[in-house]
Amino acid sequence: MNEFEWRRPLRALRQPEMPERDLWPAIEAAMGNTGNARGRATPVQPTPRRRWLLGTALAASLALAGGVGWHMLRTPIGQPGTTATSAWKPTDPRLAGAAIELDAARMELELAIQQAPDSAALQRLLRRTERQQAQLQRLANRAS
Amino acid sequence: MPPVPTAVHDNDDVLAAAAGDPQAFQRLYALHVGRVHGALLRLAGYDHARAEDLTQEAFIRAWQKLPGFRHESAFGTWLHRLAINVALMDIRARGADPVRVTDEEHLPDFGATPFCAVERRELERAIGQLPPRARAVLVLHDIEGWRHEDIGNQLGMAVGTSKAQLHRARGLLRKALGEHS
Repeated sequence: MNEFEWRRPLRALRQPEMPERDLWPAIEAAMGNTGNARGRATPVQPTPRRRWLLGTALAASLALAGGVGWHMLRTPIGQPGTTATSAWKPTDPRLAGAAIELDAARMELELAIQQAPDSAALQRLLRRTERQQAQLQRLANRAS
Repeated sequence: MPPVPTAVHDNDDVLAAAAGDPQAFQRLYALHVGRVHGALLRLAGYDHARAEDLTQEAFIRAWQKLPGFRHESAFGTWLHRLAINVALMDIRARGADPVRVTDEEHLPDFGATPFCAVERRELERAIGQLPPRARAVLVLHDIEGWRHEDIGNQLGMAVGTSKAQLHRARGLLRKALGEHS
């Protein structure tokens, strides 16, 4: 069989195939959230992969916040305090950094949830962040 | 890459969609979805769910990138290429079927099976059974008409490797078809 004979049935496969389900509603929903450069400048809707990355980044920042808090508790008092603002600022300077990190993580999560309100993973991360904030407050109370 | 046949009347919709008109983009979607999904279905080995996900992703990317479309080719050609890139990135991201040098002694004889007698469905099933990279090379070269240089660039492999993968894919395809017929 020569090259032409080989490719003839294969080239015959090069035909349009309609999807089995209507993909337009999902595409339209994503377009509504992404816009294009000259169109609406709306926030980007996270794709599943972006959501996963966002979740990982948030989890990493939460772990960092926990680590910072733990490290600061074990560090002697007397170091200069942070100047960053936070909704809740512990009086103990050792915990201030962790409080800011957790605050920022919570705000990012709330923004992400506005983009993807049905994301269970983001909701879980938000609840975990709030628990960690409460835990930090308890630590701060105990420290004071 | 050969041009993809496309409607000559989509130019107004392309311009409007690039300016942010979703209705225009919906008309482009309706016009091109069959061809895009067909190509992605073949690259996905006739896995319908995956092909639909890739098609969705391709159109979302097209919407995002449309303002940068320079009209150097037909919109259909640009879209088709973008969609195939989405599928190839998916193949690369999965790290499937790393490129290997083919052991030609173990391939069946190229002329063993009367290919034209095989029904379309059987051919599709056999293509679906190929390893992802070998399938990508076969689909792009033998079905979509790409050159080995373009395939190599897109899949991050040398031209020689693309040729070896094609030879491997054809051999595996013939073997699969021989086993089924």
